Amino acid sequence: MVGDRAQAAIVRGEVGHVHGTSLIEVEIPRSGRRRVRVNGQRPGRSTDLLGHVRGVVFLPDDLDIIKRGPVYRRRFLDGVAVQLWPGAYLDQQEHERALRQRNTLLRQSGGEIDQTTLAVWDERLSQAAGKLMVRRADAARALQVWIVETYERLATVATDIELHYTSNWGGSLEATAADEVAGVLAEALIRSRRADTERRLTTMGPHRDEPWFTVDGRDARTRASQGEQRTLALSLRLATHTAVHRATGESPLLLLDDVFSELDTDRADALAGMLPEAQTFVTTARQEEVPVHGRTFEVRSGSIQ
Amino acid sequence: MFEGPVQRLIDELSRLPGIGRKSAQRLAFHLLNVEQADARRLAQAIMDMRDQVKTCARCFNVTGSEECSICRDLRRDPAMVCVVERAQDIVVVEKTQEFRGRYHVLGGALSPIGGVGPGQLHFAELRERIGNEGIEELIVATNPTVEGDATAMYVAREMKPLGVRVTRLASGLPVGGDLDYADELTLGRALVGRQEM
Ligand SMILES: [Zn+2]
Repeated sequence: MVGDRAQAAIVRGEVGHVHGTSLIEVEIPRSGRRRVRVNGQRPGRSTDLLGHVRGVVFLPDDLDIIKRGPVYRRRFLDGVAVQLWPGAYLDQQEHERALRQRNTLLRQSGGEIDQTTLAVWDERLSQAAGKLMVRRADAARALQVWIVETYERLATVATDIELHYTSNWGGSLEATAADEVAGVLAEALIRSRRADTERRLTTMGPHRDEPWFTVDGRDARTRASQGEQRTLALSLRLATHTAVHRATGESPLLLLDDVFSELDTDRADALAGMLPEAQTFVTTARQEEVPVHGRTFEVRSGSIQ
Repeated sequence: MFEGPVQRLIDELSRLPGIGRKSAQRLAFHLLNVEQADARRLAQAIMDMRDQVKTCARCFNVTGSEECSICRDLRRDPAMVCVVERAQDIVVVEKTQEFRGRYHVLGGALSPIGGVGPGQLHFAELRERIGNEGIEELIVATNPTVEGDATAMYVAREMKPLGVRVTRLASGLPVGGDLDYADELTLGRALVGRQEM
């Protein structure tokens, strides 16, 4: 929060990790872009920060991941990939850029598309999609066992949780080789060329896929109870923490943003009991709802006490 | 804020890339204190550059005459042409001292978002050169961005059928960065280890 008479707010934190410690500073000006410094230096690109800070954030609307459209679940998996391998962020950005370029090309040309130009963007998009898809699949593989395990511990009954993947071009969470995936998508793009030209957008690719969960064989989105959905949402975050911790040897920061007020007492206690060993920040409007103990910082009229 | 003409110069300078408010002030006050003749020479150099600079009729490099000095240099191998996005990329490749062929400046990279299609770039002229100059190999040194990659792919698709070999700089360039920033040794290695497209 930027104070009333201040030009900017600065958030400073020291992060310890396996390679040593980094001092991270973020300057939030009243207007304009945020500026990030790592050990006093501007990182080469904003994504360099990803290698320095890892965090798992619980949000009140995490339920969206389970209940809402496929984009929420794609974002979740891709976000986990970035936590596990910061370089995945570049793959995702590249994919997004190539997709925007191809869609713009389809929109611009009033039916009159230069075929070589389209072929070139097909090729570039497929390459990027291959890399994105393998990261997504790797993230799913790293998570799967932990989702099942945490769900069972939270729910205290054996439950069959599965992650499925629906794709109209042959995308799959079995993907292991980016080149192969790129080849499959490249062929699909040729098949969908007419449809894409007519609809003026890219109708096939990982940006249209749907990852989805089942709880004991029932679609979690439509046929799971509210309680099951909440438990699954919590499991996804806890599983992310475990998977990242295992893979990187670092325990990510935990941020629980106003999460306990959304849970009934049993689930809140279960979650509190399962929080991994990590530096944890809990924010809440009502302290009595938080079943964990630690230092309390009170934010009163804009200052921290 | 400063008095009229000083502030006007500061405003102009701060519009240049890489020059912030503070640097612009420093430069303006520096120019205020140098000899009149020095300041005049700088102003003249800017004017001359704008008035006299031409693009090379063959490769679209910047030059003061009809053809650039690289195209006129008879020791250069005309069978090898390095394809770049912009004229400033030539300087970077030249610094490596690994390349003894000629160049072709496309004038940018394919980008539907930026409104750049093949018609906006110097592809037709490149095609013509392949026919006329006995070019055997095109080394594509477009920037390692999504757009630069797509442009390289376009060169490969369009020019290979004309019977030339098309290669692309091997890795070693900063991803998403400009050729401008690649250090000379890394770039030199990338040139030597270029890959068939
Ligand atoms: Zn020339």
